[in-house]
Amino acid sequence: MINTLLELKEVSYKNKNKFTLNKVNLQIKSGEKIALLGKSGAGKTTLISILNGTLRPNEGSVKLLNNEFDKLNLSQKSKISTIWQDLRLIEELSAEQNVNCGLLGKQTFLFAFKNLLNISSFNKAHQYMQFCNLKKSIFSKNIRKLSGGQKQRVAIARSLTQESDILLADEPFNNLDPKLTSNIKNLLLNTKNNNKIKVPNTTLISLHRLDLLDGFNRIIGMKKGAILFDLEKTKLKKFHLNKIY
Amino acid sequence: MNKLKLNPSSITFLPVLVCIPLAYELFINFHIGGIELFKEFIISSLNPKINNEIIFTLLKRLNETILIAFYSWLISIIFGIIFGILSSEIFYKILNLPIFLKRFLNLFLTFIRSIHEIIWGLILMQIYGINFSIGIIAICIPYVAINAKVFSEQIENINLKTIESIKQINGIKSSTLITLVWSPVIETFKNFGLYRLECAIRSTTVLGLFGVGGIGTSIFLSFQTLNFRELWTYLWSLAFLIIISNVLLKKINLLNTSKKFLTSFVIALFCISLFSLSFFVYFIFNKNAIPFNSINNLLISNFNFISYDFLKLLFETIILGLLSTGIAISFPPIFILILNNKIGITIIRLIAFLFRLIPAPILILVLLMFNDPSISLAAIALGLHNAAITSKLLLANLYNQDKTQYTAMKSLGVANRSSWLFGLFIKQANSYLAYCAYRSDIIIRETAILGVIGSVGLGWQLQESLSSFAWEEVIVILFSYSSIAIIGELINGKIKSNLT
Repeated sequence: MINTLLELKEVSYKNKNKFTLNKVNLQIKSGEKIALLGKSGAGKTTLISILNGTLRPNEGSVKLLNNEFDKLNLSQKSKISTIWQDLRLIEELSAEQNVNCGLLGKQTFLFAFKNLLNISSFNKAHQYMQFCNLKKSIFSKNIRKLSGGQKQRVAIARSLTQESDILLADEPFNNLDPKLTSNIKNLLLNTKNNNKIKVPNTTLISLHRLDLLDGFNRIIGMKKGAILFDLEKTKLKKFHLNKIY
Repeated sequence: MNKLKLNPSSITFLPVLVCIPLAYELFINFHIGGIELFKEFIISSLNPKINNEIIFTLLKRLNETILIAFYSWLISIIFGIIFGILSSEIFYKILNLPIFLKRFLNLFLTFIRSIHEIIWGLILMQIYGINFSIGIIAICIPYVAINAKVFSEQIENINLKTIESIKQINGIKSSTLITLVWSPVIETFKNFGLYRLECAIRSTTVLGLFGVGGIGTSIFLSFQTLNFRELWTYLWSLAFLIIISNVLLKKINLLNTSKKFLTSFVIALFCISLFSLSFFVYFIFNKNAIPFNSINNLLISNFNFISYDFLKLLFETIILGLLSTGIAISFPPIFILILNNKIGITIIRLIAFLFRLIPAPILILVLLMFNDPSISLAAIALGLHNAAITSKLLLANLYNQDKTQYTAMKSLGVANRSSWLFGLFIKQANSYLAYCAYRSDIIIRETAILGVIGSVGLGWQLQESLSSFAWEEVIVILFSYSSIAIIGELINGKIKSNLT
């Protein structure tokens, strides 16, 4: 049976009296690989922020595993991980310390403190960093000293260490070269198998490039804060895309 | 006719106009009674006294100074960080606590910050008598609040998006909080916290002048007995101590130390904070504080404002603060502009170092050798001491910046001073004025010390009221000081936000 993990009902979000999301209904089921398409300003980032609980909707309800989002405890909320468009890494920390931050949801305060003092265990962080094709030489480097692509992979490694059930990613392929884009997409869609690594099997990724749709099984198109189409990848036609671009 | 337009560069020079009333008052109060003493004071600076007895006293006094300064610095940093976190918005956002608690805490911190450590020292000495702990507690009270303000401002600068991303990991709240505030706290500690040790050494010295102990007490005793050679031995050793402490602290790099050392360091900090807190509670509740019982008198107070020209003293204090600020802002750029060559700059650096080294109360006592006590004299002493501090920052910023505009102007044949003004100074004027706005907060607080020594303003009245245990007067004076400092801080805050 396919479980509904996340559910949005009649969700609206207003920013400065202007709707950025307008009565959106959405169900995300376990195992789905969803591509979220739309022009800049279509409401993709707002939708992701509502899905991960960063923004509270003005109207409607958000449910995770059939529970209202506001009533969830921290461990339930940590089932969702996010890769932000602007990465949002802590610039003053090293790459491995940033990746270890992904474990905060499962660890005690002492772990957080030891991580900041650089005396915690980095085994798990290193496993995920290697999985994201990051070289050992950059593990202890400060984030400020890394290239754009390296930072992107650190952000991915951080979200993967959360070992969440759902991964939300907001335009994670921006400013990356084609080879790196393909590598990162494969990581996020879990096409590379590894027993030690748990990659969320449910993924929602917002995209601009249509050539990256391979590997997704569901496509959602957005325009002006509304979902214009929501269909299986095989049913996607050119006129659907014309509606949103 | 064109309208006069003010810009940050011209605003920096304008306060020099305070020199007109200052020069007039200094001229009519001038006397030559202490010129010989002044000459002896200057000559003694090159011939300090060195013998076994002096060295023994010096080591003992330096030891006291280091202990008071280091311990008060350490405690004020630890509690400054704690209160800095507690008074930042992020703390209440992450822990979902009502924001009115933050406002209440900020109000409390603003009040204790607005009163100078010397005033706290004088009050505590009057209540508990002369005691080694007085120095530490007196410095810690305002320093904790000052440090808390700086740490909290830096914590507030954390990018909102970073907060969201870490919150979204949904770790326990304390882990989320420490992960977010750690970097700004460490950065602020490195950039600001280490410099506070020098401030603590200076404050310990000034408190020593009032009898708390340490090298300040020896400096004051030497001055009172007109033993200037001995005085300079203490002043030069103080300079040596400040230089050594700066050099040592710059060598500390928390991130490159071994894990074992770091863990021990954190455990030691934790133990010190626990010990300090328990000692503070013990000190407050377990010491004999009989004089303070007269606080009950407040309820049946017959306090009369007019009886000692309270408003006149208040006005004098404000004028003293404004005149000193005028000197502190305008003197450094004017002198750098006039003496704009290598030798001139070296002379300015040397004089500024001396004015920073000599505590303002000693400076005013030196000036009293050839002038009667007046607001102007107190303003000169306070202004010069602070101008020495602002000049240090201005010189560092002027000559560490990009000089392409300056060299381009020089290559066009523009005169040296004009090139300096339009090529170097103009780029620093904004940040210099913003720093001076912050400095004027400190000047307002420091008027208290000068008042005590130079018989002007509320400081003088405070000394009198404390000596006669007139607690109702003390309370009114404290609130007056606090009000002036808070109003000044609000005005300066507006100025700073317009400049940056």
